[in-house]
Amino acid sequence: MRYKKEVKYLLIATALLILVILLSLMWGQYHIDMSTLIGYINYKLFSIEGINSQTFTLIDNIILEIRLPRVLLAILIGAALATSGAVFQAMFVNPLVSPGILGVLAGASFGAASGMLISENWLVVQILAFAFGFVAVSFAVLIGSMVTNSRSTVMLVLGGVISASLFTALLSIIKYVADPYSTLPTIVYWLMGSLSMAQLNEVVFVSFPILLSILGMIFMSKYFDLLSLGDEEAKALGVNVKLIRIVAITLATLASSLSVVMAGIIGWVGLIIPHIIRMAVGPSHRLLIPLSAIVGGAFLLLADAISRLALSVEIPIGILTSLIGIPIFIIVLKNARAVWN
Amino acid sequence: MELKPIISVKDLHFSYKNHHVLSGINLELYKGEIVSLLGPNGCGKSTLIKLILKLLHGKGDITIDGKSLNNYSHKDIASHVAYIPQYNNTPFNYSALEMVVMGRVSKLDFFSLPSSNDYEIAKMALEKVGIENLRDRAFGQLSGGQKQMVLLARAIAQEVNVFIMDEPVAGLDYGNQVRLLELISELGSQGYTFLKTTHYPDHALLVSSRVVVMNGGVVISDGAPEDVISQQMIEDVYNIKADIIMHDAHRRCVPIFQQKREVF
Repeated sequence: MRYKKEVKYLLIATALLILVILLSLMWGQYHIDMSTLIGYINYKLFSIEGINSQTFTLIDNIILEIRLPRVLLAILIGAALATSGAVFQAMFVNPLVSPGILGVLAGASFGAASGMLISENWLVVQILAFAFGFVAVSFAVLIGSMVTNSRSTVMLVLGGVISASLFTALLSIIKYVADPYSTLPTIVYWLMGSLSMAQLNEVVFVSFPILLSILGMIFMSKYFDLLSLGDEEAKALGVNVKLIRIVAITLATLASSLSVVMAGIIGWVGLIIPHIIRMAVGPSHRLLIPLSAIVGGAFLLLADAISRLALSVEIPIGILTSLIGIPIFIIVLKNARAVWN
Repeated sequence: MELKPIISVKDLHFSYKNHHVLSGINLELYKGEIVSLLGPNGCGKSTLIKLILKLLHGKGDITIDGKSLNNYSHKDIASHVAYIPQYNNTPFNYSALEMVVMGRVSKLDFFSLPSSNDYEIAKMALEKVGIENLRDRAFGQLSGGQKQMVLLARAIAQEVNVFIMDEPVAGLDYGNQVRLLELISELGSQGYTFLKTTHYPDHALLVSSRVVVMNGGVVISDGAPEDVISQQMIEDVYNIKADIIMHDAHRRCVPIFQQKREVF
């Protein structure tokens, strides 16, 4: 079979994800031990007795109301950010970009905050987040290509820095005019990056567009190898470069913008996860994209679980991913020559 | 039966903003030919190649297999013509085999992945250019000559008969230049058709069935290598003197070095 290696890696990653899911369901203020959890799952899914009804009700409450929505949200957002990061890196032929660096997260947070200011409607917030995420990445690309005609790694990163600063400044205006007793704290805590506001129905609502974007990016992955050779070569090999690029950037922007709506700005995941996977299994996007989704989900879930377990105060997940992400990225940069030539 | 050209270019014009690059180019490429495009820097060789591949859009008629280029998508072009660019590095270090498999993309549906068969074809292409031992090596870590060979294998994996090469020997060391020319000649004798740009009249003499010389955006000469490449042409186009000599049954072009060196 051709894809033996790929299937092996995907199975390993999935096993890892399941392990982290189980740990996340167990860990927390109220610790659920392994045998109780297995008893609960057996009863819930297969109606196998082995757990008393009082314990069942308690655990059922904890898991369904608190932990499961949070687990699903963490996986969804980790997957969205890591996949988008890998796709942006391929689309711009630039291993240094990510939703954060291109300004998408800043743009989306400005869009979402404006949405919160003008409307109670979730859909409005989501649409504005996506729209400004897209404006931000377009602005970054425009600045990056304005100075030099050729594709420049550094100029695009600089364009992203400028774009992100612009939308951070615009966001500050919104914070400044927001009601300091109600809206402002909401915006501030949400932006720090938090999974704690997860409610099952909201998670389900936002999961459809995010999942569809991720699936779309996985299905397109064979083209990303070609686009990362540069436009001319990809076209000459028979790829409809414009179509693939627009669809891919739209999907990556959608997934990462919606992650901002749900959990604020969670940085670094989109940058480091694709790099780690490339170092482990190579650069082919057929494997990189789906693995980024699984490993990104597992990474964010694990970071969240550790933050709940290790510290009595809950640190916003966005701060934690930065603290974990920065040292990892420094290691990645040190090995960069070997990985990207 | 009249022989029909695979690629035909008629009265092609192209300009960047106010700068005319090509004015009224005519060119035909027939099956089995190895055509070398000669000319100084900036004469429009690479532009012409890009227009034929629809990477740029100009004014004039280009047909591939009798059909206008306007009716071709990039996927259609890729199933008629393979492009071998000057190698450039991608920041993502694919293996040589993965690079060659990318040549198969025009044969795949939107949702399908390269199959075992595609990988077999890619391996055979690597064997054909004699670099099957480099299969799992990272493309970025190969030498210039090896990279050029991988790109040639990718063109073979595309399963087309026409190869368009932009400066195939640029940046290669002396040995690899000769080896690559030999390989092109070998593939030509197997029935592949080549259109390649080159800076070396000597290479054009060694490996071409026809030579087209461009200067200032027009074709100034088109014909058999021995007719086209002359002392006069070298002087007109490159502004240097050269001798055309016979060596080992080949015509060779040897530039004359003007600066006299003192010998003690």
